Amino acid sequence: MRLGASVSTKSRSLWKPFRLNIAAKQALFAYVILLPTLAIIFIFRFLPMLQAFYISLTEYDLIRPPRFIWFANFIDLVQDPLFLNSARVSITYVVFSCAPVWVLSLALAMLFDREIRAKNFFRSAAFMPVVMPAVVNAVVWTFMYHQDGVVNTILGWFGLDPIPWLRSSRWALWAVIVIGIWRATPYYMIIFLAGLQAIPQKYYEAAQIDGANRWGQFRHITLPLLKPTMLLVMVISVIVAMKVFAVPLIMTGGGPADSTRVLPLFIYQTAFEFFKMGRAAAMSVFLFAAVMIFTVFQIRLFSRGEDR
Amino acid sequence: MKPRSLRRRHPLVTYPLLFLISFIGLLPFYWMLSCSFKMNEKMFLMPLQWFPNPINWSAYGDAWKAQNFTRYFLNTAFVAIAITLGNLLLASLAGYSLSKFRYFGRGVLFLLILSTMMLPLEVTMVPLFLIVKKFGWPNTYEGLIVPFLVEGFGVFLMRQYLQSIPNELIEAARIDGASELRIFAQIVMPLCKPALAALGVFTFREAWDMYIWPLIIVTKDSLRTLPLGISLFMSSFGTAWDQLMAVAAIGTLPMVLLFFFLQRSFIQGITVTGLKE
Repeated sequence: MRLGASVSTKSRSLWKPFRLNIAAKQALFAYVILLPTLAIIFIFRFLPMLQAFYISLTEYDLIRPPRFIWFANFIDLVQDPLFLNSARVSITYVVFSCAPVWVLSLALAMLFDREIRAKNFFRSAAFMPVVMPAVVNAVVWTFMYHQDGVVNTILGWFGLDPIPWLRSSRWALWAVIVIGIWRATPYYMIIFLAGLQAIPQKYYEAAQIDGANRWGQFRHITLPLLKPTMLLVMVISVIVAMKVFAVPLIMTGGGPADSTRVLPLFIYQTAFEFFKMGRAAAMSVFLFAAVMIFTVFQIRLFSRGEDR
Repeated sequence: MKPRSLRRRHPLVTYPLLFLISFIGLLPFYWMLSCSFKMNEKMFLMPLQWFPNPINWSAYGDAWKAQNFTRYFLNTAFVAIAITLGNLLLASLAGYSLSKFRYFGRGVLFLLILSTMMLPLEVTMVPLFLIVKKFGWPNTYEGLIVPFLVEGFGVFLMRQYLQSIPNELIEAARIDGASELRIFAQIVMPLCKPALAALGVFTFREAWDMYIWPLIIVTKDSLRTLPLGISLFMSSFGTAWDQLMAVAAIGTLPMVLLFFFLQRSFIQGITVTGLKE
């Protein structure tokens, strides 16, 4: 690197044949500082991705060497009621935790996008779910969902009967979904708030002069201009929801009766409790495909709307 | 012209709503704190005690002694700080490279790095475990730290931010004869402070939260992180709710401090996850 350290007039020296020109020297520097990132990304992201495809075609228990079995894992999986159930649980979780979050987080952002007294207090309070670590959430909510816990007490204020949240296969998934909504809403509220504040105020002024009511302003200014943000929130929230893991594992371990065994949890248990690496990798491939399809689908959906 | 206030407020709707939202947002946090000071036998007393009476001061000490929590806490702090520093350094180096230099393959490399944002750990955990095992890193700090030293998101964030820094500054330094490394350390990095703060807080929060990966590669007690310790405590002392809440409160404390002292960066770190290319 010292070779081309200066481009002074004294450069007509013996070094000349070895001297890199300035552009090449800078390119070399750029490659070198990118290298650590590339190495880590390659070894710990891409290599595992490729390996996941390979392992999914094998039978591997960590003790004997992997045995190549072609697509047997995939064929087994699509016939396995436990896997199909797990996929169903995951889809239910994603749909019912994401859709409310989109609406609530936008509504909350609009609520905060105005002059409010003690704004900082209210915003911090609304933001608390994001501040609490996932494992802490799982532990505290398990406590709150107790038969005689605070959630059922509050339901009692409204004359509702106590619900056996985590002990009933009918309710456990909904208990987990409520936590998902509770935790994700303020997160996406922040993103929407940034999106809202980027909309020029004069659009609303112009609309008011034209006599547009509040709904009209929302429908024709806020929504269209917020579309990129909405797309982003949708994609991120679906991917995040697909990865939910700590909360169901800690709260229910996947039960009762497999009702909260989301896909990442099932992958984890298949790999590290039953040591079926090949099978777990095949499930990962399904999860990966789902993440991809969702992302592409949502981007498509939105860009089609833009053409009109 | 009255900015913002054009969207008229209805105080009678707004403030009750805000109080309801605050109640929902704060309830688990408040409940955790108040129950960590409640006598264990009064946990499910009907009607529920909203304020602990009498106050039980012993839960924190008892819980801390029941397991090796000091060690877990230090482990988590060490791992989270190491991951944060690694991300700050590597992401800004990579972002600088990708935004301020022209070279063959730059666009493709950037896309490759970016695409890892869509590759969740939950998809790659099995082979990642096998690779880390091959390195002999299960039950080591390396295993907890090295795979997460840089993330696609951080590189993306730093690249976007660096693009807004004028090239003239860098050119001027070059003409003055500063070395490339020095330009990066003394001119570029100081200009990146807001982005670095946002990325740092964001990364620290994620690292503090990390659960699935330590669960996979840590089996030795001396390497357990706080999230592992808390979940273990729950499964082995499931009815000592006061102590469990105390442990949970301690696990939350660093995040609360981070939030209150670096609120701006905390929120900015999240805002930029909503950045679009």
